[in-house]
Amino acid sequence: MSATPLLRIEDLRTYFYSRVKHAFVRSVDGVDLEVMRGETLGIVGESGSGKSVTMLSAMGLVTAAPGVVTGKVTFNDEVPQDLLQGLEARVEIERRDGRIMRVAKDNPSWQKQVERNLAGVRGRKISMIFQNPKMALNPFETVGQQIAESVRLHTKLNSAAEAREKALYWLDQVRIDSPRLRYDNHPFGLSGGMSQRAMIAMALAAEPRMLIADEPTTGLDATIQARIVDLLDDLKNRLGMTMVLISHDIGVISRLSNRIAVMYGGRVMETGPTAQVLDEHAEGHPYTRALLASTPRPENVTATGRLPAIEGEVLDTINVPCGCRFHARCHRINDAVRARCEAVEPELFEIAPGRRIRCWLYAPQ
Amino acid sequence: MSQPILEVIELRKNFYPRRGLFSSLSKEKNARSIPAVDGVSFTLHENETLGLVGESGCGKTTTGKAILKLMSMNSGEIRYRGTDITAYTPEQFRPLRRDIQMIFQDLDAALNPKMRIADILREAIHVREADADAVTVQRQIYDLLDLVNLKKNKLSNYPSELSGGEKRRIGIARVLAVRPKLIVADEPTSALDVSIQAQVINLLRDLQDQFGLSFLFISHDLQLVELMSHRVAVMYLGQIVEMGPAKEIANSPRHPYTSILWSSIVEKRSREIPVTGSASAWGVFDFERPLGGCRFAPRCPVYAERGRPSICTDPANSPTLKVASEGHVVSCHFPL
Amino acid sequence: MKTNFQQDVDTVSEYSQLSAWQSASIGDRVSVGYGLCVVLVVVLSYILGAFGWLPHDPDAMDLETMMAGPFTNGYLLGTDFMGRDILTRLILGIQAYFLPGVLAVIIALGLGSLLGVLAGYWRSRFETSVTYFSNLIDSLPRMVLMLLVIAAFRPNIYTIMVVFGITTAPTIAMLVKGKVMMLRERNFIESAVALGLSSRVIIFKHILWYNCRALLLIQATIGMAEAVLIETSLSYLGFGVQEPTPSWGNMVQAGANYLMQGDFWPSTAPAIAIMLTVLGFHLLGDGLNNIFEGRRNR
Repeated sequence: MSATPLLRIEDLRTYFYSRVKHAFVRSVDGVDLEVMRGETLGIVGESGSGKSVTMLSAMGLVTAAPGVVTGKVTFNDEVPQDLLQGLEARVEIERRDGRIMRVAKDNPSWQKQVERNLAGVRGRKISMIFQNPKMALNPFETVGQQIAESVRLHTKLNSAAEAREKALYWLDQVRIDSPRLRYDNHPFGLSGGMSQRAMIAMALAAEPRMLIADEPTTGLDATIQARIVDLLDDLKNRLGMTMVLISHDIGVISRLSNRIAVMYGGRVMETGPTAQVLDEHAEGHPYTRALLASTPRPENVTATGRLPAIEGEVLDTINVPCGCRFHARCHRINDAVRARCEAVEPELFEIAPGRRIRCWLYAPQ
Repeated sequence: MSQPILEVIELRKNFYPRRGLFSSLSKEKNARSIPAVDGVSFTLHENETLGLVGESGCGKTTTGKAILKLMSMNSGEIRYRGTDITAYTPEQFRPLRRDIQMIFQDLDAALNPKMRIADILREAIHVREADADAVTVQRQIYDLLDLVNLKKNKLSNYPSELSGGEKRRIGIARVLAVRPKLIVADEPTSALDVSIQAQVINLLRDLQDQFGLSFLFISHDLQLVELMSHRVAVMYLGQIVEMGPAKEIANSPRHPYTSILWSSIVEKRSREIPVTGSASAWGVFDFERPLGGCRFAPRCPVYAERGRPSICTDPANSPTLKVASEGHVVSCHFPL
Repeated sequence: MKTNFQQDVDTVSEYSQLSAWQSASIGDRVSVGYGLCVVLVVVLSYILGAFGWLPHDPDAMDLETMMAGPFTNGYLLGTDFMGRDILTRLILGIQAYFLPGVLAVIIALGLGSLLGVLAGYWRSRFETSVTYFSNLIDSLPRMVLMLLVIAAFRPNIYTIMVVFGITTAPTIAMLVKGKVMMLRERNFIESAVALGLSSRVIIFKHILWYNCRALLLIQATIGMAEAVLIETSLSYLGFGVQEPTPSWGNMVQAGANYLMQGDFWPSTAPAIAIMLTVLGFHLLGDGLNNIFEGRRNR
């Protein structure tokens, strides 16, 4: 299987500057990811792992300085296209003793270049849905109008009547009950689950090649979460959509994705098929295993009524430790590998086709 | 079980939609009120955790705040260790606040952004012992930090310099400083990462064992509530629809709503074979608030299956909590 | 030095040990430094004036050296059209606005904090009435109000400053209310009540002292700058301090009559004093704002 991926991200680095702490926050710190056609890639990670920022950077939506520092994002639709093309020329990195001391960016021209690169891609070929649908919908226009506008902007349907029909079709596709009624509703009249459906309809109305769903169920009630997940699953199967799903919720990720990337501290720690990554008994990265064990499930509780927690704090990406980013919290670290774990950051070692783990325990002999 | 530490009897709280300047002149005030908590009763025993679970807007937080008198209520009775504290004025209630404490969902709630951690804890210690001398206070601050597993070097920091898990620990330490007996914990882990959440859950359990605390554990996370609680009360639109031992509620629910709640845990569903079509069979999404009869009827699969029996929507015949098995009550005309 | 952190990116791990002053930008430090100098000079001059420790008699007319430039015959800043020492009169001129200005600031801060706390802390009871009251005061043009008060009573700088204080209060009330709302938003107030703190402690210690002190200090400096401007403009118009008592406003006005004859100095000297002082107070407020409010806010 050597099919070209639909989206390939290579060595993406996105830094922010914290004025308060006088230091760079390395939100995304060398991420490589591939999204194949027709698959759903789940990116899972805790807060500050860089999972959202990775996709926002790839879509040119990071505006704060210094923002994207390096990286290559190739979108292979009909012709391969580098979404971050020509941006490196607009960033000037000042190094001293090999340390990045200052990043100067010509922001207006950088922005202009991003707009040029992504014209016709963002919103049309790649759509995004976000955690808070109420924020993303315009409160002064009806839901139907907004979807129809998306139809007219991104497809060949031009007449108002056709766009309306298409908008109704999408409202029906996302299983909103009585779409004709909801068409004329303003967003404030909709519940959280309904707004999320409207958001999805709007994203789909552009008939994109790829959908990026950033925490689509976070903040919703359990019963509504379950339905949004069902809906995304259903849409994926019916439309054969390529999807990138970003979530901190392993449950949502495991339900929808074919493949998973686990992120920690701005790095991908592990990738592989969902079943393998989330199988508690199979080989895997200590972080993923510990994360799975610490979720509050009855079968995880120990005899003393406690959860096997990961000690320590989530990595802050200002003070990135030498060696493996997880070694200070790792419970499987042993004397054979300790020296390496503390000194050298491991690569993503391939332990099986399509299965990579960034851990010295899995280093080839 | 020992003597109840807290009894809540028929608690009611109505919200009034924000009114305009002259609306007090109109008479339809009561007609437009929304019952956020509508006749909630439960008891909580010493050293017990009662989980209060439900979707957003079901009134679980309102119930918790009413117990602490952070919110007025329309009717009902609250008894603490047998004493009726319903009519206490804020001044009368203040000494009791040393016994009844609350952990808020918001991590920043306990933390004045301009105060150092040491000062925040010192203030809480002074709430209990106004005239404690500096040495005692300092020793107690260190004890508190030990309890919540925090390093001493955080004491001179400001809240904004702490991580989420550390803020939560300080919040818990501040509550412990007054040595409470009963803690209302409102979504104490919802703002935390999974790996940190487990730490906090373990911490709360340790503290319960160590100090014999009683918890009212409010959360929307069903699995968490199941783990943390001895008993669980499920709320729907301001009413408790089912209450019983945690294991029974999770494994053999009697109310259709409880059953739907538990089966909608996405993670659980992913590992079992998903019931096809179940999602769309649950009726409409929006909360409908029927004025009489069973609140849940419009979304209820049992109601639909049984051909919409009229008893479910009969305003004169609202379901009440009936004993289903020992220590397990359910409010449904057709329990599962 | 060996460290456990990757050193390929500039990091300062001791960031939390930096004080507000250490992490302030150079511009802010200069602003605050200059502002503090101005405050110091003003306060010292006020004390000198109050005790009469002056280089010359403010009313003594030296008819031989009228309209002298700086550094003539022992007159450091020259003399005015009546041969009076300008430096002496500038120092004495501070008497005209200093105490009234402080009074105005105290009224504005006191009333503003009171209204702000009422509106923010006891929202259900006071928010509407405080908002209406603030809007009412805001809708009255301040200058017209002052002139009305002057017309009704008599030109007295203290009554004018009381009016100034009251009309500034709504602005401060809204800022204080905003702080209270911010704390309320993150459930801080509820949490403090639940801990068992009394309203008095919450309001005075937590709201006003910890969360509003920087804001009130900044508003005080801006208020002083405004007070200087109001006093000088009213005195210039002849409604404020009356000759022969010196005030910067009436000094500019008196000197202005001779501008056409080429004697610009007697009116320019007090004008420069006004400018430097107002600028000083504003820069102080601005710098303090950047230093205190820019950090540790969230």
